[in-house]
Amino acid sequence: MRIKGFVVAMLVPVVAILIAVAATPPFVPTPASATPGFARQTGVSCQACHTVFPELTPFGRKFKLNAYVFTNVKELQATDEQGQRTTLSLSDLPPISVMLQGSNTTLGRGVPDAGVAGELSQQNSTQFPQALSLFYTGKISDNLGAFLQLTWEPSSDSVGIDNSDLRFAAHTSLDRIGVSDFIYGLTVNNNPTSQDVWNSTPAWGYPFLTTNVGVPPIASTLLDGQLAQESVGFGGYLFLFNHLYVELSGYRSAQTSFTNTTTGGPGPLDSTSPLPRISGVAPYWRVAWEQDWDNHSLSFGTYGISAQVHPNGIPESGPRNTFTDIALDGQYQYITDAHIVSAAMTWIHENQKYNNRALSDHEKNWLDTVRVTGSYFFKRKVGGYAQLFSTTGSRDFTLYCSPSTYATAPSPVCPGADTGTPSLLLGSANGKPTTQGATFEINYLPWLNTKLGLQYTMYSKFNGRQNNYDGFGRNASENNFLYVYVWTAF
Amino acid sequence: MKTPAMYAIVAGLVLTTGLTEAQEKTPPPPDLVTRECSTCHGLRGISVSPMFPNLAGQQAVYLETQLKAFRDRSRADPHAQAFMWGMAAQLTDSTITAIAAYFAAQPPAPGKPAGREESAAGKKIYEEGIPAQQVPACGSCHGEKAAGNAVFPRLAGQHRAYLERQLAAFISNARANEIMHENSKNLTALQISQLAAFLSAE
Repeated sequence: MRIKGFVVAMLVPVVAILIAVAATPPFVPTPASATPGFARQTGVSCQACHTVFPELTPFGRKFKLNAYVFTNVKELQATDEQGQRTTLSLSDLPPISVMLQGSNTTLGRGVPDAGVAGELSQQNSTQFPQALSLFYTGKISDNLGAFLQLTWEPSSDSVGIDNSDLRFAAHTSLDRIGVSDFIYGLTVNNNPTSQDVWNSTPAWGYPFLTTNVGVPPIASTLLDGQLAQESVGFGGYLFLFNHLYVELSGYRSAQTSFTNTTTGGPGPLDSTSPLPRISGVAPYWRVAWEQDWDNHSLSFGTYGISAQVHPNGIPESGPRNTFTDIALDGQYQYITDAHIVSAAMTWIHENQKYNNRALSDHEKNWLDTVRVTGSYFFKRKVGGYAQLFSTTGSRDFTLYCSPSTYATAPSPVCPGADTGTPSLLLGSANGKPTTQGATFEINYLPWLNTKLGLQYTMYSKFNGRQNNYDGFGRNASENNFLYVYVWTAF
Repeated sequence: MKTPAMYAIVAGLVLTTGLTEAQEKTPPPPDLVTRECSTCHGLRGISVSPMFPNLAGQQAVYLETQLKAFRDRSRADPHAQAFMWGMAAQLTDSTITAIAAYFAAQPPAPGKPAGREESAAGKKIYEEGIPAQQVPACGSCHGEKAAGNAVFPRLAGQHRAYLERQLAAFISNARANEIMHENSKNLTALQISQLAAFLSAE
């Protein structure tokens, strides 16, 4: 079944469900019953912190900057002997919540059957759940809070730590030099940009939820998810004048499910690690300015990371490659009870220097990723998103697993060596990383904490070309996908 | 060149933002105001978003009454439920008194310009009421300058959109208040807009 036919087939029941839900008596949300961990702790409804989840409002950004400690529930407390310092401050009701995502994905064309050459897999894949998460999100003590997410993904049949952030924050002022009340804080997290409070950076940027069974493009910058949940960062930040955010952090590799083959336990990373390893500490920086007026909020800023990386298989004494990402981002929000308009953009430029020449034709390469997203919601109930995305970069046949190069000089990081069909589906025949396209999504939220989505992603170019991009006859549009999902947290 | 340029940027930021606030010699806010109330209502009680009311210069008695109404959930308009029920849930009487006293002592927000004609029409309603629609003069309770008096809130300088939403809530009884319901139930949408324009400009 081709996409068009499937769109019609899927739209009929989805529209029927939407009409049925819309026709039911209006649901009146109550702050305590329809919202998860943070809401349980604060007693405040979702809409205080989110336009439409997971995008944050100015209030939500402040809540995060203040280390998630704002609470309005009864607490078990202890103070020191002088009664001046709180030594324990625990919620009577722990801010625990559950998130459930279920989805159906239909690819433009099935991917090659892994077992039978020339055959295709099923075009459609249903996942229920796609992910199931348990959160602890909230206050730990007076100035310490956490966003901890444990996720089970049936596709990999694994339970793992998802985006996690432990942070300390406090207020002070430096009146002598004219700096009034400001926030200073520390964060430990496992995904660069997950600590960020704007939705224009990768970790919390759109698409907030998408398929995990699509065909992944071959190239992405380091900051664009490559270190997600496989690194740990420690940093400090300031939020000055109620406008200016400044952060400096350092990241190290902290790969999950790695067993050191010598110690037999979770020893230090070495050349047997399955993923590239950051050598030493990679500095991450972030500066952003937010300006709010009336119902509007505008922010713009820069962020980046510079990392020296050992590819997997390369010993600690071996050559390191250098990746430097420099990014710009901006976000605009218009928020009223009836109408919410958001726009976000980011541009990430990556300079790559390959001292390990087995991986690339050239010593120096570059990548550019641009995403521009717009969204509109009516009464936080009906709305949608549109996004244009583009990744471009320099041509490199070895790096991007061109089948002709792979046949004579196989790169150790390219797929396909064990299938006998190098770079099928995943490689780039012309050695270019270009992937461009658009995503459109419509949503219905019967309740503030439940989102139904119909998302379509279309590629104009995939791994360098529109047609026969992998050199085995696969076209970019065959990787288009229709994604239907339900996402709820409670 | 880089160092002088950086000093200039920092000095500029300090001069345009922090210093001006620091120079306003007012008592320091209670800790709760700094950490929580200020997020929506501003450190000095002047909010950025018209979704949240200005509190600076508001009547202390009115602020106390409202905070207690949020706490006991007797004020139940949609925003009260979504935001303030939680915020006020654990407030003690003494904290409520301190917060109210702090915001009442702050200089009120200056009025924002509104259209001359609509302001004039709003002023007429405010000062004279609309006898034909059984709408009494607002100023008889809220004061000649709309500065309020004890349980009657200050209206001058309040966000226009906030005032409009409250009048709509009184009319629909989403915000239960018998007197305000009776006084406002016959106002048209245009008259509400004119009144709010006048008051927000005061």
